[in-house]
Amino acid sequence: MSRAVLVDLTRCIGCRSCQVACKSWNDNPAEQTKCLGAYDNPPSFSADTWTVVQFNEVEQADRLQWVFAKRQCMHCEHPGCVAVCTVGALTKTPEGPVVYEASRCIGCRYCQYGCPFGVPSFEWDKPLGLIRKCTFCVDRAEEGYETACVKACPTDALTMGTRHEMISEAHRRINARPHKYHGHIYGEKEAGGTSWLYISPVPFEELGFPMLDGEPMDYASSVIMNATPVTLAAAVGVLSGLYWLTKKKSQAAEEEG
Amino acid sequence: MTNHWCDLQNSDCILIIGSNAAENHPISFKWVTKAMEENGATLISVDPRLTRSSSKADIYAAMRSGTDIAFVGGMIRWVLKDMEQNPGRYNMTYVREYTNAAFLIDPEFKGAPDLDGKFSGFSPGDADPNFGKYDKSTWTWQKDQNGIPLKDPTLQDPNCVFQLLKKQFERYDPETVCGVTGTDLEIYLQVCETYAHRSGPRGRSGTIMYAMGTTQHTHGTQNIRSYSILQLLLGNIGVAGGGINALRGEANVQGSTDHCLLYHILPGYLAPPNAAQPMLQDHLDAKLAGFATFDPKSASWWLNYPKYFVSLLKSWYGDNATEANDFGYEWLPKLNPGTNYSHIPLFEAMAKGDIKGLFCWGQNPAVGGPNSNAERGALKNLDWLVSVDLWETETGAFWQDPAAGGAAGIQTEVFALPAAAAYEKEGSVVNSGRWSQWRWQAVDALGEALPDLDIIKELMVELVDLYEKDGGAVPDPITKLRWKGWYDANPLPRGADSLVDLVSREINGWAETTIKNDDGSVRYDEGKLMGTFGHLMADGSTSSSNWLYTQSYNETDGNRQKWRDNVDYHPAGIGLYSKWSWCWPINRRIIYNRASVDLDGNPWDEEDFVIRWTGPEGNWEGDVPDGGWAPMNMEGTRYPFIMKPEGFAHIFGPGRTDGPFPEHYEPMESPLNPHPFSGTQNNPAITIWRPDEFGTPDEYPIVATTYRVTEHWQAGAMTRNMPWLVELMPEMFIEMSVELAAELGINNAEVVTIESKRGSIQAAAIITKRFKPFTIMGKTVHQIGMPWHWGFKGLSVGDSANKLTPHVGDANTTIPEYKAFLVRVKKGGVE
Ligand code: SF4
Ligand code: SF4
Ligand code: SF4
Repeated sequence: MSRAVLVDLTRCIGCRSCQVACKSWNDNPAEQTKCLGAYDNPPSFSADTWTVVQFNEVEQADRLQWVFAKRQCMHCEHPGCVAVCTVGALTKTPEGPVVYEASRCIGCRYCQYGCPFGVPSFEWDKPLGLIRKCTFCVDRAEEGYETACVKACPTDALTMGTRHEMISEAHRRINARPHKYHGHIYGEKEAGGTSWLYISPVPFEELGFPMLDGEPMDYASSVIMNATPVTLAAAVGVLSGLYWLTKKKSQAAEEEG
Repeated sequence: MTNHWCDLQNSDCILIIGSNAAENHPISFKWVTKAMEENGATLISVDPRLTRSSSKADIYAAMRSGTDIAFVGGMIRWVLKDMEQNPGRYNMTYVREYTNAAFLIDPEFKGAPDLDGKFSGFSPGDADPNFGKYDKSTWTWQKDQNGIPLKDPTLQDPNCVFQLLKKQFERYDPETVCGVTGTDLEIYLQVCETYAHRSGPRGRSGTIMYAMGTTQHTHGTQNIRSYSILQLLLGNIGVAGGGINALRGEANVQGSTDHCLLYHILPGYLAPPNAAQPMLQDHLDAKLAGFATFDPKSASWWLNYPKYFVSLLKSWYGDNATEANDFGYEWLPKLNPGTNYSHIPLFEAMAKGDIKGLFCWGQNPAVGGPNSNAERGALKNLDWLVSVDLWETETGAFWQDPAAGGAAGIQTEVFALPAAAAYEKEGSVVNSGRWSQWRWQAVDALGEALPDLDIIKELMVELVDLYEKDGGAVPDPITKLRWKGWYDANPLPRGADSLVDLVSREINGWAETTIKNDDGSVRYDEGKLMGTFGHLMADGSTSSSNWLYTQSYNETDGNRQKWRDNVDYHPAGIGLYSKWSWCWPINRRIIYNRASVDLDGNPWDEEDFVIRWTGPEGNWEGDVPDGGWAPMNMEGTRYPFIMKPEGFAHIFGPGRTDGPFPEHYEPMESPLNPHPFSGTQNNPAITIWRPDEFGTPDEYPIVATTYRVTEHWQAGAMTRNMPWLVELMPEMFIEMSVELAAELGINNAEVVTIESKRGSIQAAAIITKRFKPFTIMGKTVHQIGMPWHWGFKGLSVGDSANKLTPHVGDANTTIPEYKAFLVRVKKGGVE
């Protein structure tokens, strides 16, 4: 049975316990951030930040709503990242998680292009950088625990179960209080279906979720990859080299002080 | 809280005002969410800006900071009018039988409508005639020849509380209210109707969740009074899903209040003696006079005061407390009658050089105190300062303040005592719902850090030694305490296995001698734990350092604060969880619960009842009843509000210093002068310390408030040193509307300067639609808001919002007016 998480944005209070719990469980260091004129921080995923809560001010029919959306890897049913990975470093497990095996990774970062959600992050500051992203807490699942973020959520905005259960739970909640929800279940069909599912008080466009059709991303991605493999590989290669050099230089400068 | 966190789930309508519960008490939203999803509850949020709590609300009403009494006064007026037209929608039996609505008030009493915003008895002060004191002798009810209050059960007599309440709020019509609060009229009416109709009918309940947004005003106590009056009119006190619920700002602030770490109360809300009461009997007589009742149906629980007071003295002085020496009463420090010893005047006394030394125990006034420039300045006058904390705070390091020009010239000797964090020690933590929950130690403290209890024990044993060795002006108050040879005994006395265990038993209390029943059999052997506060005595045979906590630790169950059974045994399944931790008093989870039933003991709400009478032989079922007496229609009954001498809840509340009814006054700094309700601009019963330090709207046109964010904690020492939290909220910021930013030419995220009469600070701008300009009596008024977490120490440093706040406080409590003051905002940083 495939595991899934239902994220109910009508329940989320934007407390970001999930964001801290993820860092805490995974021992990910804090980033240097600054106030960017909103509560969101860090502003996006990175090698050290696998989940972020987005704060959306949505104005609809004269009514202002503040909608919080926790984002992370969607653990797609047909993941684009897996499809484009030429060495099998990323795999979709039957239990739900899309897992990454560092020892196989050659650092080509095709997966960043294959993912429609902008999830895989590369360790730009390491010479032999790896891909980092939400693991679905597979290491906790092995011990029979829910994910760290689900465990930390004070309002049960994150509920865990089988994908089948979560879809029926989503329908149940929408039917019980239809005026509270925009009726769509995001992830039921998008990109061929995902293991993280969302229900929301406002349409998902308003929250910046990519509008995808039901076409599985493994298919779509492989088409892209077949078209442009060389250019892409070259481009990312150059970029990462440049980044690493610059970073090294500035570190050296700091050390010389 | 009259109720408790899990009980929020039983509510039909939740009004969050003066609180941002989702932000500051995230777990509360587990229960709010449950109420909304499973109970169909409506959530109303009233706040100057749309907050994380408002984001979940069915109705959000914007309200200018400092105008709660106008807002709620208008709701009270709305309810009173609706009651006349539709009495069937309300629980009039509750209003008539359980509140003092029917009481006839002294005809000499004059209220705010008669006296232009003041109440009878006002005498202006010498310094400024706008501020003075009340003689409260007319704030009283008429009594019959037996001393029992006169009542008009029809509620029609023009001198009855109900009619006086109507008269008090007649001026608070929706248009005037919204002119003052800036609320949209249509939304305001929707709030009135929704709250009244969702929670007013019998069997329905509404709860008010409030916090510092309510209290931190020059009229903060009266803000709460206005909420309480509304709740009483709607029959919402004592019932499941109802109550008046203070969300306490720190994990254990309820415990600190119960144990009375404030100058005006002793543990268990007893009164500190004053200099006009030289002997124990003087003190007890003065207190008992206030609790006297001649009504056989009134329990007036405080008549037990002497038992609790003497047991406290026995607990503190042990065998040294004897009947012959007034149980050590003379060793207690006495207050000067009329002197205020709260935070603001203490810092004023430091500023004048009257106070020479200060212990700051887990407190950081250099960031958290009002007018922090002034308070940091006052610290310089100290000879010594001890800071007990986890980190070196801005207070402990005040001499390093980069904005104050360095340590030159500062003579204060500063000591830092490292304290253990919550997880590094064992002990009880009392939550807002009065649950005293035991916490176990998880990890060892770092370095030399010690639990507070060990720090204070070492300190006091040393103090006793010094007094014994060197003498001193008045050594007895120290040397006679049951300290030395008690807390440092080995083994510890009375079977305690650790210091914190000993203190926990001591709070509960012991039989200090063998206590016998009337028939001569032994009720308690000497040294046994007391089973209930009903057994405490005023003759020195018992001790308890907090009568409210007697029963928390007993001989059969041990330490009940350790209870962890999360099964709900309540017959109606209302989520009392009575075997999860222990709750004062005597594990009663919803207080005033005898008001949740009708005169025959049948619950107003059959489905979600708290208690019910299971007659005919009769017994109460459910929660621990507020006194086990039979229902009101039976022999031997008592009125439900047992802590009040007359037994009725106070709609007319003569106990406060600033009026028996709440009346709208503007914050000390306000954009609206005059205001339409009266010619009395500010609460006339407050004290003014720095008359020249208030700004006016011509110079400072913008209303400002302060608040907290989920990601940081209080003055910030615990969170601004935590990288994961600093990452989320890295910088001091100010929130302002799109409109104000456009007027001032400010871009998102840029640095701006905020100035008040008392200081200036800089912060990053968050420009948001969640703040909207107010229209106040026809004029546009802007409001901004800032978190107060930052200071100059720690991983994330920034300016302290409290450099801007005024040194003025509430008329009853002197809690500072942090929540409404005036500023101006400029593009660019502080020059
Ligand atoms: S395609 Fe993206 S979102 Fe989907 S599993 Fe791969 S990384 Fe996660
Ligand atoms: S599932 Fe685990 S790794 Fe993924 S966001 Fe949650 S805590 Fe982080
Ligand atoms: S922990 Fe839950 S409520 Fe808090 S931000 Fe994450 S999903 Fe939302």
